[in-house]
Amino acid sequence: MFLRVSFLTLAALLIGGCAENRSPVLGSGNISYGDPKAVELVTNEFGSTDLQMIAESMTRSLAQSGVLKGRPVVQVYDVMNKTSEYIDTREITTSIKTQLMRSGTARFASDNTDMQSQVDHLKLQNQSGLYKKSTVAKTGNMIAARYRLEGSISSIIKRSNDYKDVFYKFSLQLVDVESGLAEWMDEKEIRKTTER
Amino acid sequence: MGLKRFAVVALALLAGCATPPPPEPGSAASKVLATGPIENVAIGPMRMARENGFLTVSAQLSNTDTHNRTLYYRYLWMGPEGFPVAEVDTWKSLTLYAGQTSFVPAIAPVPQAVDFRLEINTP
Repeated sequence: MFLRVSFLTLAALLIGGCAENRSPVLGSGNISYGDPKAVELVTNEFGSTDLQMIAESMTRSLAQSGVLKGRPVVQVYDVMNKTSEYIDTREITTSIKTQLMRSGTARFASDNTDMQSQVDHLKLQNQSGLYKKSTVAKTGNMIAARYRLEGSISSIIKRSNDYKDVFYKFSLQLVDVESGLAEWMDEKEIRKTTER
Repeated sequence: MGLKRFAVVALALLAGCATPPPPEPGSAASKVLATGPIENVAIGPMRMARENGFLTVSAQLSNTDTHNRTLYYRYLWMGPEGFPVAEVDTWKSLTLYAGQTSFVPAIAPVPQAVDFRLEINTP
């Protein structure tokens, strides 16, 4: 009897040991992580690959153009969405800013969305009386942008019984604020076709 | 006599099993990372230059098939020590018409890049 119990206990322990989850994954089912840089072809609407390709292409063209000598200060304006889709164009400009910053070719002034929080913070430091005077950021020292970066995205959509063709055109230009001259311009074209 | 014939056959078989020699360092083939067999696509010369401090690359790809082919590619950027110096690029899709030769240009994302690899996937 003792032998039988010992054997069963040992067997249960062994089975329990084998059944232990050795993978660093919790849960199961149809969820998985994918390659964020993969070519996304789920639908032919504007997608992650389009955003990444536009940001990559524009950033590298601008950085390599030689216009941004001496890390000038650039102010980024919104990209006008002239397509019929909802596109978060702020994400395109954020990616462009991030990649230009990583390349070390430009510095960025507060843009229209950041400006209010920048002004609020300066006011808080200077007017609230909460901060030690020697550590307070002085007003009137913000750096003005030398260049303005602005652009647009438009689309042409054609449909037939068999096809849906979407053509995107993203244009970006760098304008010298003082002279008003466009110093650099580039565009990226993307065509996506769905065959039904 | 039989042993000699056996030895010849064994040597021939061994030669067949031998892996092809690795591509010469600096050659176009040494810059290509294939994620599988590259079918009906010939990789031609690659041009590398430095413009305004950034490495620029252009690779020649040809479709040797009589049908259009779509392939996926991306560049990886390496520093002087041979390690990646930037986040990997986005995979891009390229359609080559039957018999077409195309040039795939790219600019490095950071000035620190001194070398590159072209990763190719033919579905």
